[in-house]
Amino acid sequence: MLWYATAGSLDRQTDAALRTDAIGLAQRWRESGPDAVIEAIAERLATDVDAAAIYLFVGPDRQRLAGNLDRWPPDLPEGASWGVGSVVRDSLPIDARLHAVDFSDNYRVLVGRDVAEKGRLRELLAEGMAWSAAAAVFFALMGAAVLRRAVEGRLRPAAQTAQAIAAGDLSRRVPISRREDEFDRLGESMNAMLDRIDRLMEGIRGVSDSIAHDLRTPIARARAKLEEALAGRDDPAALRAAMEEAIADLDHITRVFGALLRIAEAEAGARRAAFAPLDLSPLLAELAEFYGAVAEASGQVLETDLPETLEVVGDRDLLAQAAGNLIDNALKFTPPGGRVRLQARPAGADGAEIVVTDTGPGLSPADRARAGERFFRADASRGTPGSGLGLSLVQAVAHLHGGELTLDDAAPDGTATGLRATIRLGGAHEAR
Amino acid sequence: MRLLQSLALACVAPVLGAGSEPMPRITTDSREYCIELAERLAKMPGPREEAVTRLVEDGVRLCDSGHPRLGVARLRRAMRAMLAGH
Repeated sequence: MLWYATAGSLDRQTDAALRTDAIGLAQRWRESGPDAVIEAIAERLATDVDAAAIYLFVGPDRQRLAGNLDRWPPDLPEGASWGVGSVVRDSLPIDARLHAVDFSDNYRVLVGRDVAEKGRLRELLAEGMAWSAAAAVFFALMGAAVLRRAVEGRLRPAAQTAQAIAAGDLSRRVPISRREDEFDRLGESMNAMLDRIDRLMEGIRGVSDSIAHDLRTPIARARAKLEEALAGRDDPAALRAAMEEAIADLDHITRVFGALLRIAEAEAGARRAAFAPLDLSPLLAELAEFYGAVAEASGQVLETDLPETLEVVGDRDLLAQAAGNLIDNALKFTPPGGRVRLQARPAGADGAEIVVTDTGPGLSPADRARAGERFFRADASRGTPGSGLGLSLVQAVAHLHGGELTLDDAAPDGTATGLRATIRLGGAHEAR
Repeated sequence: MRLLQSLALACVAPVLGAGSEPMPRITTDSREYCIELAERLAKMPGPREEAVTRLVEDGVRLCDSGHPRLGVARLRRAMRAMLAGH
């Protein structure tokens, strides 16, 4: 580009001057013929202070009529109109830019310029540009090397942390320089990611431990019962009772695995394809009818407050299981004579809320915070049957439907005990 | 550089003379053209400024002393000054 703007500009200026010169001579030719052209060339040569102009005017038989060249240059053959040729000046060859124009009656004029000076200027320019380019490349390489060292220096802590983690030391974190630049932000992001991975790994370890711990007891119990039956095989009634108990324990294990699979399924969002519009009111009414009988048998009361219709989009089976888990939990922890209330109402544009309130002992804030974890059981509930997966499933179902599970006191002012569990369902477009 | 070019021309000239077409030569750096230009100036009508007269005299003197290129340059400047005056 620089070459085009400098050396190229010189060439274009020369060509423009030659073209203008030739047009002027052609005009004289048209006005007054060869004599006018001869006079014009003589005039132009006489005032050529720069001594750069070259002219040659030849007749039909190529005899020289005017100009300052003694013969037609061989570098510009018949038919060619532009060229660069060598001419002799003061016994030295010089380069000249040449332009030939044919006139009528086979007359021909050559207009040229001595470009030796411009050639020298072009060489100087080329030399200057070459040095400039070399200097620019040198400084660019130096700059790149310095920049590379600086970036390497700033990235080294992050790289070392990544290497340490790859080697198994998950406790390492990227040191932050407090410069608050991009590298600090990268380090902070990496640390946040590592913290998150740490928490997830801890969660997985916790779940594995819980599975091992919670399933060991029923399996050991089933084995003991079967051994006991084997020892007392002469008594068919005892044998049958032992086998039934063992089957019950194995059923419990199957239920735990079923619940874990359903939670995993809900968390993965695999069932979202089965989402369909449904009316929650009759679904909850059916549940209330089923659990109403259970409540009555335990001396409890299950009240309902359901709208006539409550349209949502979701998975019917999962929503029924989630609501059933909440009612089941409430009935389990509410003493005889207590009340459980099932409510449902629209929320937001096309969402809904399912609220189950009981008059049981409630949960401490610390236990409420952990209630959604798999296999978590509050100390007070250790004596009641259950696997600690019910609320995990409810939470997973709420998340699948773009909502959440919240637990709070049934009476926040402390006038009564009890727990209020709310499933908030987002609209269909919010389901993630 | 000019010395090298002269040597190159000296080497090339015999070859050119022997077979190829010789290079065209510029004729306006010669004493003949100097005289032609001086005559052209002399024929120009009208008064002359002293500076123009001095340029013409210098030009002719340079041509006579074997520096036709410098002489032609002076005469061309004189010609340009005359035309500007007219």
